Amino acid sequence: MTHGFLLYARSRVLPRTVLALAGTAAAAVLGARNLDAYLDPSRQVPVVALAPLFAAAVIGTSLHSASDELDRTAVRPWWRRRLVHLPALTGCAALLLAATVYGHPSPFGPAAMVRNTLGCVGLTAGAAALLGARLSWLPVFGYVSAVYLGSANARGRAVPVWAWPVQPAAQHTAWVSAVVLLVAGTALYVARGARPEGRRD
Amino acid sequence: MSPVSHLASRPSPGEPAAAVRTAGLRVRHRRTVALDSVDLDFGPGVHGLLGPNGAGKTSLIRVLATVAEPSGGRVEILGHDIRDHRRRGEVRRGLGYLPQDFGYYPGFTVREFVAYVAWLKEMPADGVPAAVERAVARVGLADRIDAKVRRLSGGMIRRVGIAQAVVNEPPVLLLDEPTAGLDPEQRVEFRELLRELGVSSTVIVSTHLVEDVAAACTEVTLVDAGRVAYRGTPPSLAALGESEGGPGDHPIERGYTAALRAHRASAPGGALR
Repeated sequence: MTHGFLLYARSRVLPRTVLALAGTAAAAVLGARNLDAYLDPSRQVPVVALAPLFAAAVIGTSLHSASDELDRTAVRPWWRRRLVHLPALTGCAALLLAATVYGHPSPFGPAAMVRNTLGCVGLTAGAAALLGARLSWLPVFGYVSAVYLGSANARGRAVPVWAWPVQPAAQHTAWVSAVVLLVAGTALYVARGARPEGRRD
Repeated sequence: MSPVSHLASRPSPGEPAAAVRTAGLRVRHRRTVALDSVDLDFGPGVHGLLGPNGAGKTSLIRVLATVAEPSGGRVEILGHDIRDHRRRGEVRRGLGYLPQDFGYYPGFTVREFVAYVAWLKEMPADGVPAAVERAVARVGLADRIDAKVRRLSGGMIRRVGIAQAVVNEPPVLLLDEPTAGLDPEQRVEFRELLRELGVSSTVIVSTHLVEDVAAACTEVTLVDAGRVAYRGTPPSLAALGESEGGPGDHPIERGYTAALRAHRASAPGGALR
């Protein structure tokens, strides 16, 4: 069983995924260093919005199954493995990224990083179920980029609902949006798996 | 209990045991009907599944492999109705499946890939290493067992696909175009393996190659436009070709074209698409 689990981990390139998450975290540390965020905390927004985006993209590609047709003949239902796989990587990414801004007591510190990781992973997991794992990074990339570029001058009560990636950590509505996305995306992925890619007769 | 003895423990009284049975099977893909009212039963032996492209062969194999859902009718494998999700695990333990395009994990060696499938089938872990070596040896790849799958030629990858399908010594083996990409010598060896497997297992092989059917199959089923057009043995299909005079260069080929024409003539509205 242990050997089977290791084969599963390698089939989903999990070791490389964890390394890529660590690389994303290292890039976030470098990015955060030169921002002089102590002058203006909002200078940290690019790191807090973009690092979770890259981490989610890395996690999304690990949901790809190269032999989907054979995997469907597995004796045990897949949902249990998916329910371990996705939350484990999400937790790993959230911890790594939160650590990159640890000690920055700003509104865009570790808590905002965790919230954005959860929301981005939720979007990516949902996209993997609907579009396939290889393209799962695309919707979250488009969404977060659009929010980042378009929310600067937005006003209104609904802004925290859709512009959650650029809200301060204390903004509760943004947390609700991110958690709803995580739960919905995870549920969709766990129930359906990544959408099969390639030919079907 | 081995899978083979599992099959042997379920004889149907008064008739040969049918490991696979379909009744009124219907499969739809969006708006097209891939299979319609298909009643078939397959017992131990090698069953050739012939038919034109798009006839529904792959749809039938995928439903039997439990990877596609039928839209109607009943499918029974090893005595279990496959719609019963609680018994699906039991059915899948006894299935071997080679899809047309099986995909493989790029970092895996042959040994790892076949072991991965053994793990999917929940084979007892202590028996897996020996079962993997046996399956790989059966397809003649023992000397490449630790090579990366992605470094193998197309024919070798096909043989890896066959090895993963037989690793659990399944009582029901479903092979979709197994000889595509094999060279003539490999095909001869593969037919030998098929005959060997057909002694104890129910092997269903979809193919376009009539030589494979003539040489290795005990029964032949011809599918056209989602319906069963002909069932018989390779000699009876060849005899049909000789008596009806269908075009072709091989007796089975003549039988194939004659049976298809007869089926189409008897069901002018039979084309489902």
